[in-house]
Amino acid sequence: MKNTLNRRQFLKLASAMTALAAVPRAVGAATTAPRVVVVGGGFGGATLAKYVRMWGGNVQVTLVDANPNHVSCILSNLVVTGALPMSRITLAFDSLKANHGVTVMQGRAVAIDAAGNTLTVSTSSGNKILPYDHLVLSPGIDFVPAAGNWNPNLTPHAWQAGAQTTLLKNQLAAMRSNDTFVMTVPKAPYRCPPGPYERACVVADYLKRKGRTGAKVVVLDANASITAEPEAFGHAFNVTHAGVIQHVPNATVLSVDSSTRSIVTSAKTVNNAKVLNYIPNQRAGAITAGLPLNSTGFVPVNPLTYGIAGYPNIHVIGDSCAVPSSDGKAVPKSGHMANSEAKICADAIIRSFTGEAPDEDIATSSACFSPITNKTSSWLSTNFIYGDIFDASGNVKGKGMQRIDAGEAEADMIDGDSYQDMFIWADSLFADSYS
Amino acid sequence: MDISIFTRAILAGTALLVAVAPTSAAEPGRLLASQCAQCHGTNGAGPGFEEIAGKDLFNDLIDMKYRPIEGIMDRQARGYTDEQLRLIADYLSTLPGNGGD
Repeated sequence: MKNTLNRRQFLKLASAMTALAAVPRAVGAATTAPRVVVVGGGFGGATLAKYVRMWGGNVQVTLVDANPNHVSCILSNLVVTGALPMSRITLAFDSLKANHGVTVMQGRAVAIDAAGNTLTVSTSSGNKILPYDHLVLSPGIDFVPAAGNWNPNLTPHAWQAGAQTTLLKNQLAAMRSNDTFVMTVPKAPYRCPPGPYERACVVADYLKRKGRTGAKVVVLDANASITAEPEAFGHAFNVTHAGVIQHVPNATVLSVDSSTRSIVTSAKTVNNAKVLNYIPNQRAGAITAGLPLNSTGFVPVNPLTYGIAGYPNIHVIGDSCAVPSSDGKAVPKSGHMANSEAKICADAIIRSFTGEAPDEDIATSSACFSPITNKTSSWLSTNFIYGDIFDASGNVKGKGMQRIDAGEAEADMIDGDSYQDMFIWADSLFADSYS
Repeated sequence: MDISIFTRAILAGTALLVAVAPTSAAEPGRLLASQCAQCHGTNGAGPGFEEIAGKDLFNDLIDMKYRPIEGIMDRQARGYTDEQLRLIADYLSTLPGNGGD
């Protein structure tokens, strides 16, 4: 044992010595490849796993997900309306395994031993303990429901795609003339800022196309105004779908009763809606519970590494993380952005193996296409560069991802070309993340 | 196990650690250019919008950045400094692609 560095003993020792926290974790890699464990096979986790393998050379990557595949929220509103089949948004992990050598473990991540550098995963064959050199958490969102009697199996949120999407689709299909579809927009920050408004549009469009005269879509928005693409959705609500969509701002949800499909908000109460699509407020995924959280329930991260203060080898990417940014210019939570962040995180982890500092010349972006009808779409683009970030008064408050505001951020035309582009974008994003 | 020897080995410093590490430094522009892949495919080789591997797109990117915004790429190009666009274009030009448009 005198001349051999035993990896496990080394890590045990290193984790016991705080002063050595910054020592690259791959020091033991003379005999073993470093191990990266990823929790969550959404766009963030899948991209992270793929790019660490693609860029990192001899690195073991294990992707943990509770499901055998990932069902994308992107395009899922078109599954709700029946425009697309569920198979169109179901993304397998097979290519990550076959093309990139990622190990996939189906199970639920239940506990992190940060001192011991292990993750416990509950699987169908019992608990598995996964040792890691870097742990990347990409668990998406968890819900913070209002008071009352909430049961998502009666009133679907469909804000995590899959069975929830099918349930909402079936409820929408059962609507008749003069019925009311009631939905909520969560208080920001939440997953996919344009998503709820897009849903309102495609549901309204569906009801009109099916001849459901007098049917209404009531949008109870917890925010003071439309949070994304205000011009496109404002036009859609006031012109394209005028008389069908009613947008109610400042509607803080006070209580929900799923059994009667009733909802009480600070602005409006609806009892016995035909469909109640209550999308609750959101926080970081449950596995982050023991980590430092900000006031809105998300995990503050270093934008260069997606690392967490006090946990040198644990990273959080995607919807669960809070990226430092200028006041009023938050980094949006989206699948496209999660993919973007995963690449920054993957590069930083790989650099840490060779003792390199993280790259500071970085940029992230999100783009999306939002259908307004079954033939038209708008688009949104948001870009960020690392550098100074500012408070509301314009004073520098630190370093982070600064939103680039040059030019309009949203499409000035809602058109059919964008509807076709939406599928090119989605297929490219699916492939870059999963193939 | 001799802890003191072990500790000294750890404290021997970064140079030793680098020598045994499994990976090499990233090529300039690789990380920035990877942000194009969401819409143009991994390594710029599709599937997606126009294939961007194996071409020098610097002048096109600068054109998009400074002309009036018509499409989404005009907006995206504004999200990078000119120097970053140079790094992205240089890196993409070295990639093989699939010979597509």
